[in-house]
Amino acid sequence: MTVKGYWTRRLGGAACVVAIVLVANFFLFRLMPGDPVSTVLDPRFSPEAKAKLEALYGLDRPLGVQFFIYLRRMTTFDFGLSFATQRPVLDEILERLPNTLALLVPAYLLSVLLGTVLGVLAARRRGRVAEKAVLAAGAVSFSFPSFFVQMVLLLLFAYVFPVFPLRGSLSIPPPQGAWPLLADRAWHLALPVLSLVLLGFGGWALTVRNLVVKVMGEDFMVLARAKGIGQRRLFWGHALRAVLPPLLTLFLLSLPGVVSGAVLTETVFSLHGVGRFLLESVLGQDYPAAGAAFYLLTLITVGSNLLADFLVQLVDPRIRTGGEGS
Amino acid sequence: MGGFKRWLAGAVFVLALTLPLALPAPGAEVDPERIRGPKVRELYMVVVRDPDAAILALERGKLDVLGDLTRPSDIRRLSKDQRFSLSMAPGFHMAQVGFNLRKSPWNFPELRRAAAMVVPRDRLVRELFSGYSAPLATFLPPVSPYCDKGAAAPGLDVEGARALLKKAGWSWDPSGVLVPPKSKQPLPPATILSPTAGVAPTTAELADRIAGALRELGIPVKAEPLDFAAMVQRIDERKFDLYLMAWQLGRDPDSLYSFYHSSMDVRGGYNQTGLKDAEVDRLLEALRYAPGEPSARKAAAEVQRVLADRLPIIPIYTRYSVAAVSRAWSGAVATRAAAADNSWSLLSMAPASGGARPLYWALGDEPKTLNPFTASTATDWQVLGLLYDTLLAVNPNNLSDLPWLARSWKVETLTGAGGPRTRLTFSLRGDVLWQDGTPFTAKDVKATLLFLKKNSIPRYVDAVRDIDSVSIPDDRTVVVTMKNVSYWHLHSIGGLPIFPGPLLARIDDWRSWQPARTPLPGKPGLTELYGTGPFVFREAKAGDFVRFTRNDRFWLIPR
Repeated sequence: MTVKGYWTRRLGGAACVVAIVLVANFFLFRLMPGDPVSTVLDPRFSPEAKAKLEALYGLDRPLGVQFFIYLRRMTTFDFGLSFATQRPVLDEILERLPNTLALLVPAYLLSVLLGTVLGVLAARRRGRVAEKAVLAAGAVSFSFPSFFVQMVLLLLFAYVFPVFPLRGSLSIPPPQGAWPLLADRAWHLALPVLSLVLLGFGGWALTVRNLVVKVMGEDFMVLARAKGIGQRRLFWGHALRAVLPPLLTLFLLSLPGVVSGAVLTETVFSLHGVGRFLLESVLGQDYPAAGAAFYLLTLITVGSNLLADFLVQLVDPRIRTGGEGS
Repeated sequence: MGGFKRWLAGAVFVLALTLPLALPAPGAEVDPERIRGPKVRELYMVVVRDPDAAILALERGKLDVLGDLTRPSDIRRLSKDQRFSLSMAPGFHMAQVGFNLRKSPWNFPELRRAAAMVVPRDRLVRELFSGYSAPLATFLPPVSPYCDKGAAAPGLDVEGARALLKKAGWSWDPSGVLVPPKSKQPLPPATILSPTAGVAPTTAELADRIAGALRELGIPVKAEPLDFAAMVQRIDERKFDLYLMAWQLGRDPDSLYSFYHSSMDVRGGYNQTGLKDAEVDRLLEALRYAPGEPSARKAAAEVQRVLADRLPIIPIYTRYSVAAVSRAWSGAVATRAAAADNSWSLLSMAPASGGARPLYWALGDEPKTLNPFTASTATDWQVLGLLYDTLLAVNPNNLSDLPWLARSWKVETLTGAGGPRTRLTFSLRGDVLWQDGTPFTAKDVKATLLFLKKNSIPRYVDAVRDIDSVSIPDDRTVVVTMKNVSYWHLHSIGGLPIFPGPLLARIDDWRSWQPARTPLPGKPGLTELYGTGPFVFREAKAGDFVRFTRNDRFWLIPR
């Protein structure tokens, strides 16, 4: 298969996935128990008022009409008005996105960096204390529930030893001036980011260590060693290069999970982010907001997949298609 | 009546045994007429969603007022801390077990009565809520001015329940399951719907224990915890045997009509039990369309007495409202009907010592919207309630009506060709200014009522539906004529937030209007989110806080 053919097939497949998710997104929310109006539980709200609310949300129209309005909105990225806030859903998401990115980007990069460094260290120090320590720390980090760890950190470093703030993304009242404000935001994000790094590095350390250990035992590594290649070059030039494709894939495919995993962190630290918005939209049966959030998550997932494919081909000539081997 | 007295004595005993804080004593009242304020110059409503983080923030001095304390461990911990003053008041919360009266065996009144007699409310409240709730036997929360405390569900009497059933012809099969009269088949298994333990742990446990108590009587019931939306759907579709649900009611007894009138057993209606009783309907109509307060009170009492006989539900408990206030502040208003986290406190609180400083008030969630036409959550209205005033206020001592934007009012019944109708005449204060400096007049009230009626806004449609005409004989008088007769029109109209008339005239689309984000032309620092209320909206930092400053033009500030 040619490169063009391969990518045509991959992009076609991705488009099919997006289309299936789009359709499922619409019907699944409507098949879920309850609806945005029936969950209004206020005896002072009459059936007539509920009918008005239903009309306001457009839920009184035939399902087919609702579906085509939904399709038009999703494909044009005009997601309509959120039922809960009556503001454009896109505005709601864009307003929260900087907070979520400021939390997740450093947390994810630091987790990956720390996990990779410790994984490599453990692999190179097999059987020694360093490996045992990394394995133990990795297992603890990997297995503790995030909510518990974050509450303990909050208690320790915001209450008992008040080094960090207890809540939110800025002080109240906020400091004046751009730099003090920036510093204040960084101070508020430090503990949430630290908590995510503590919770995230373990999985990476264990994965990297296992991959490197496995690669070090491969035939081509034995051959390279027999050829007299030095340890340093053997490790950095051969072993790490071999583990790069799976790490890259893992890195990109974990991205959507990281975004949706922001929900708990944003709740514990009272942060105004996309994860929390997603959760509240689903719980509140806010169809436009939940539909848009899941659609965007789908696009991130599909996009990450495609990007992973592309980058893996770049870094690993063995699986590059369209060449001699195809 | 005797049953209620015994229940009350039991409840008081339970409270005395378990609570480190107590309800304010009778007579510990504030005089709202003497409150002058606000004294707070800057107010931050701080968003703290996580209850643990909120407690830590209070203890660290990052919050001054924290309401909605529900976990006994939190209340005990804070009540031992001398830095805080805790207040407790009975609330409008009401948890109840509903029967599906449309199907057997719940259409047997004696079975419902017997079931009510085996639920150990006192013990459940003591064990599950550590006393921070009260056992409930009435059909309205006792704090409601219209609660008839004599009309109560029967108290715990297991032997009495068995005797009642025997007398009505019920028997028990060898395995102890009840057999209805003139039948040989024991009762089929049934379930009591409740939220899951993950969402509402105490309610789920309560449902399990109530099911256990019913099983001991021979009713084969087990708890069926469900996702809340799924539970509501099952109840809406009438596919249930029993359910356990909690409600937040208001001071007026209008919930009785919603819960028990046969016309409300429709899609979107709240007559979930399916009660269809001509006498109840007649009394509820008399209540809903009562021409004056005395007839409304009489009808409310009568319908509760009939409900105590029919027992479509078993009232279980009502939760107290508990709030903590830092002792660095004085003047918080706590009464027998309201804990300290109320709007009267915001008018009267001041630093206990030292100079002016900001007040930090906890918000348990972020306001979803600051558009008063679409705002629906309690948090939204905690914010908006500081900006917009109503014609009448509620007395924090006894929940009666108080003059507010209206200095006085008159409720009359007109007779004429169109049939009898209620006429409300409000005489407005003359010293009220909008936050932009323009005077508040009757034109604003008229513009508000007509705007809400013309646009059929869901939140307000029930309040303004019956308005026939609004006239303003002068700048200080508003006359609202309704299409029918009801004393409750006074509260419906008197409780509406009043908006600036000229601003309403400029709103093209009330649904997408974003007043907090739209600067008010020619008024630096003000947005279109302004009213006559005690505080001026300044900014909302999404997810963090909403900031207000004192409205120096507020009419309760001495000039």
